[in-house]
Amino acid sequence: MPEPAAPDAAVPLVVGIGNEHRRDDGCGLAVARALRSRLGSRAEVVELSGDPTALLDLWADRDLAVAVDATRSTGPPGGIVRAGPSEIAALPPATTDSTHGISLVEIARLGESLGRMPRHLVVYGIEADDLSRGIGFTAAVAAAVPVVVQRIEREIAEWERTAGGRGNADA
Amino acid sequence: MTDRTIAVDYLARVEGEGALIVRIHNATVEHVELRIFEPPRFFEAFLRGRSYREAPDITARICGICPVAYQMSACHAMERALGVSVGGPLRDLRRLLYCGEWIESHALHIYLLHAPDFLGYPDAIRMAKDHRELVQQGLRLKKIGNALMQLLGGREIHPINVRVGGFYRCPTRAELDGFRPELESAFTLAEATARFAAGLDFPDVEEDYDFVALRHASEYPMNEGDVVSSRGLQIAVDDFEEEFREIQVPHSNALQSVRKDGNPYLVGPLARYALNYDRLRPRAASLARETGLGHVVRNPYQSIIVRAIETAQACEEGLAIIDRYVLPDSPSVPLPSVASPVSGAAITEAPRGMLYHRYRLASGGTIEDARIVAPTSQNQKRIEEDLRHLVERSIDLADAPLTDACERAIRNHDPCISCATHFLRLELARD
Repeated sequence: MPEPAAPDAAVPLVVGIGNEHRRDDGCGLAVARALRSRLGSRAEVVELSGDPTALLDLWADRDLAVAVDATRSTGPPGGIVRAGPSEIAALPPATTDSTHGISLVEIARLGESLGRMPRHLVVYGIEADDLSRGIGFTAAVAAAVPVVVQRIEREIAEWERTAGGRGNADA
Repeated sequence: MTDRTIAVDYLARVEGEGALIVRIHNATVEHVELRIFEPPRFFEAFLRGRSYREAPDITARICGICPVAYQMSACHAMERALGVSVGGPLRDLRRLLYCGEWIESHALHIYLLHAPDFLGYPDAIRMAKDHRELVQQGLRLKKIGNALMQLLGGREIHPINVRVGGFYRCPTRAELDGFRPELESAFTLAEATARFAAGLDFPDVEEDYDFVALRHASEYPMNEGDVVSSRGLQIAVDDFEEEFREIQVPHSNALQSVRKDGNPYLVGPLARYALNYDRLRPRAASLARETGLGHVVRNPYQSIIVRAIETAQACEEGLAIIDRYVLPDSPSVPLPSVASPVSGAAITEAPRGMLYHRYRLASGGTIEDARIVAPTSQNQKRIEEDLRHLVERSIDLADAPLTDACERAIRNHDPCISCATHFLRLELARD
């Protein structure tokens, strides 16, 4: 396995996370696919369905990383959540006993411990409704996908405008 | 008269949902119960009526950590039913894929799940603050295992390149040669892992395990072999159900496996190592000697060292396979049509121990009956014995440290509850 060339830290990273065979859990992947064609070389867009610890290698030392995943909280299905660095740090630990799946929040904490974080991390969540086996989103989640695509595209454009990304993505 | 009750809702750093109940009355352990309340997943039932060709991909979904084990046991069982043999480079590639899973799974358990117990942290995230390089080392090792699974299986979780009869695509010689430096680096990391593990402090405990594992004529077991035990059993895989039976216990949604005399037994790294020490490759054997391990390890806490030795073994084995690889003419062997009902069984060595699959196929090749016995359901009753002995030894401990000790004793065996139900909440009760 040849080690991939070190990514350019200044190129923003967009990571869509999920499992497209668990219905709404695939929404992060759908966002990533849409952004890949819209952003071209302006960002590195990655779809992640496997080992979440891979995030540490993907985002370490990047100026900006944006992660998109399905969420389950108290919000309505299709609801959009955006968390910047300060909000991510304040999130409670995920309530999981799983050793197979480490949550995005836990990966961020592990990254902090290991010093393997991007300079700015932004997380978008789309509140999922149906996580059963199968393909296709519920209507509310399907409607949220293009909205998140637009918001991330705007976020990256804003990042580019503010002195090549020396601005504050958490603004 | 002393009655005490201790309850812990969820056991951390094991996979799946379960609980432990220990009842102590007058300083005597009266009852130990490893409860498995994760809902049963009925995999055996929904395999019925499906084509035999679907079994590797369906059963792989039972576990995200050891999908290769499910794929391998399913493929071998089907091939035995069909009277097909897969040899040469295809057999080697299966073994190489399995090496990737052993490296990934063992690295995960050693560094992220087990090491915090020895170094005094509640989890790997907090351990990483003080032991950054150690955790990085574990993640590097895990990553190489994942990459090997991706190279051969198409992706690291639920590989998609495995089929009954072989693979859909075989890697080129250049692709495997390109991976060689990574695997050599993984061996160096495995050596460092074994040295780290050997330097830990271990409770002075020995359990009288009835070890059960595969044993092959010349190889450290993975895909093939007879079933042997430390108490003299040696049987063919086809006779597994004659010697081992599954029992239903009220507190578990997973069946428990026992020997036919009702006694518990242990599968997994300690069993494989004790029964196959002489099958370790030279560098892995040398590493085992350097760490001071004997040929048989009965201290369950030292399983962390054994896993490290097995990781080195998997790396060394993988390197040997790469060195002799020749691209096969075809990625799979032809499969005959199923003209009349047939059945077949196979056992392979998942990272956590023996995984048994048996299938009966109707003419035409649909699955009529399936039976899957996962490593954790085989170890469940033996883990209860470890816990009983631990609580008896530690009866004077206060509730909190006793509970912590119980959780730690369970983690020694790296149980996968999800696999067992196709299993851990912890509750300690003293009345």
